[in-house]
Amino acid sequence: MINLSDAILVLILLSVLISLESNRMMTLVKIMGLQGVMVSLVPLFLEQHQAIGSGGIIFFQIMILIKGLLIPGLLYFAVQRVAIKREVEPLIGYHASLFFGLIMILVSLFITEKLQLTLPGGHSLLLITAITTLGAGLFLMMSRTKAITQVIGYLMLENGIYLIGTALTKQSHTRYVVEFGVLLDVLVGVMIMGIILNNINRAFDDVDTALLGRLKD
Amino acid sequence: MLEFVFLLPIVMGGAAFFLPVSLGRGILIVAALLHLQLTVMGWLGKLDPYFPDYFSSSPEGLLVLLVTSFIFLFISIYAISYMNETEMQSEHIFISCMLLFLGTMSMVTLADHPIVLWIAIEATTLVSAPLIFINRSKEALEATWKYVLICSVGIALALLGCFFITLAMDIKEIDAPLTFSSLNAVAGQLDPIWLKAGFIFIMIGFGTKMGLAPMHTWLPDAHSQAPSPASALLSGALLNCAFLGIYKVHVLMHVAGLGAYSSNILIGFGLVSMFVAGIFILNQPDYKRLLAYSSVENMGVIAIGVGIGGIALYGAILHLIHHSLIKSSLFLSAGNILLGFGSRLVKKTGNLARLFPKTFVAFFAGFAGVSGFPPFGIFISELLIIMGAFQRGRFVVLAGFIFCLTLVFAGAARIVMRISFANAGEDVLVEERMLRIIPSYVLLLTSIGLFLWMPETIFEVIIDTIKVLGGSVNG
Repeated sequence: MINLSDAILVLILLSVLISLESNRMMTLVKIMGLQGVMVSLVPLFLEQHQAIGSGGIIFFQIMILIKGLLIPGLLYFAVQRVAIKREVEPLIGYHASLFFGLIMILVSLFITEKLQLTLPGGHSLLLITAITTLGAGLFLMMSRTKAITQVIGYLMLENGIYLIGTALTKQSHTRYVVEFGVLLDVLVGVMIMGIILNNINRAFDDVDTALLGRLKD
Repeated sequence: MLEFVFLLPIVMGGAAFFLPVSLGRGILIVAALLHLQLTVMGWLGKLDPYFPDYFSSSPEGLLVLLVTSFIFLFISIYAISYMNETEMQSEHIFISCMLLFLGTMSMVTLADHPIVLWIAIEATTLVSAPLIFINRSKEALEATWKYVLICSVGIALALLGCFFITLAMDIKEIDAPLTFSSLNAVAGQLDPIWLKAGFIFIMIGFGTKMGLAPMHTWLPDAHSQAPSPASALLSGALLNCAFLGIYKVHVLMHVAGLGAYSSNILIGFGLVSMFVAGIFILNQPDYKRLLAYSSVENMGVIAIGVGIGGIALYGAILHLIHHSLIKSSLFLSAGNILLGFGSRLVKKTGNLARLFPKTFVAFFAGFAGVSGFPPFGIFISELLIIMGAFQRGRFVVLAGFIFCLTLVFAGAARIVMRISFANAGEDVLVEERMLRIIPSYVLLLTSIGLFLWMPETIFEVIIDTIKVLGGSVNG
């Protein structure tokens, strides 16, 4: 049988690559929804988390709802309201970005190989996916001009960090209450960013970050 | 129940959002008073945590909590008059976010679980964002965007650092609850490599929030664009909270025997911050940005003091207290200047001494205080840091430290003189009012008071704070 968690991880990697290459805002948002669902499914299929209590199940369901539905939904409305031009407008071309994504996978493979010495084994693919997601998130924030792509990049970074958290640490430390707090912070963060975006759009008639250069020394 | 300390302002903040504005102002003052009372009860040890897995009262947390609560009370008094004067549009949002801000900052000071600490620090970013863009100008929007995005990304890296610290425990198969107190107990057995990696990420993450250079870029924008009471809170209270996150991990590193490593990183960031701030202060056209850069410099001073250790550590903790008092007072005075002249630019101001004599006294005294003149507390704290550097034989650090202090003083003095005495027109937009003067006076007088006589309880708590790191008043 194909290992289910590996299949999910490959899907996450694919979603990262597609998001680097996509040129439409809406596609990017949909990809983020898919990635959110996949990321919240990962812990369910890891071997170390076989026994999940009822509190855990409720938590994971809320997490899928928030990461897969609520946050992409907020982004969807934000794009509809603010994006006059719907293109992503990259500073670095799509193919170059895609190439960066592939290189990032190699780099994370290299890092994971290095770390294997001190890590409990068996999670190398998870770690590769996590580091790639993290790096691609940072890359997306820096290489796109639209402010909303920066929010998406931030979400991707957060997804990567969450994956590293599940890959590396035992679940017993971070109880669900704590993880829920982290999730809530991310959700409220996206909401606040959405509100500011809306205001920026009203004040500047666009959400291009190049317009945000009034304050400097 | 210790948790009341942060639950109270959060609940009252939530309520203030829905209640009419006239009631909201009352709620602000009442909540500030009640919070101060709860803080004092916490100091007397009358409050026990209801969730000891997540919260506890540590001496360093109590110190920051007291400073926060104290300056919040006076800032809220100022804010009432300020809101009257500026006819703020979304006043209920402002009041509500001020209270939520107080609540989340109190949560930071009491958190004992690293990830709860992280949640609280990220929450402070989110609830303080509306404070900055409350008047919705283009500049304010830009500042808020930078603030939220840079801090969120930085703090996300700190979360990674928290996971690494957890990993340092898991790898060695240690079964202990994930709280700072229990981590300190087993620190010797933790994996040093992952601890170091964790410290780096936490230093970068919370360092962004604390305003250490080169991650400080959001700070001058946010502090200059926010309404003055909010700037005072950001500078006087929020930066301390972020520092607390770094400090707790630094203690963990020290107990684990990696103190030299984390100390050197702290000193490095501290020196860079002081230098960058000094450079940008030199020809600063905007006086609120000047104060913001001065905050960057003072955070650098604190980082250096903690890094050197010994008597300098005592100096650093004193510096934290006095910087909060003096800097928030300065931002409040700057708010009066901004109201009076209607511009943040130094060249549009002048003759403060004659036009606004009361504000002038507070502003000038605050400047003297922040530059390290007696009888303000920063004199003694910087002196102690210099003595500590001598004792530890860190002469290069010492040279850099003194050079940067001189640089900052030279740059700031010119601008403050310009604002105070240069010729200017006679136009005054808004007269100064007692309600907006008294808070800055009280904060300054508190600093003088603590310089002349330090209450025994506060002294003991400071000694409790620094004794884990091997710091003492005797060097």
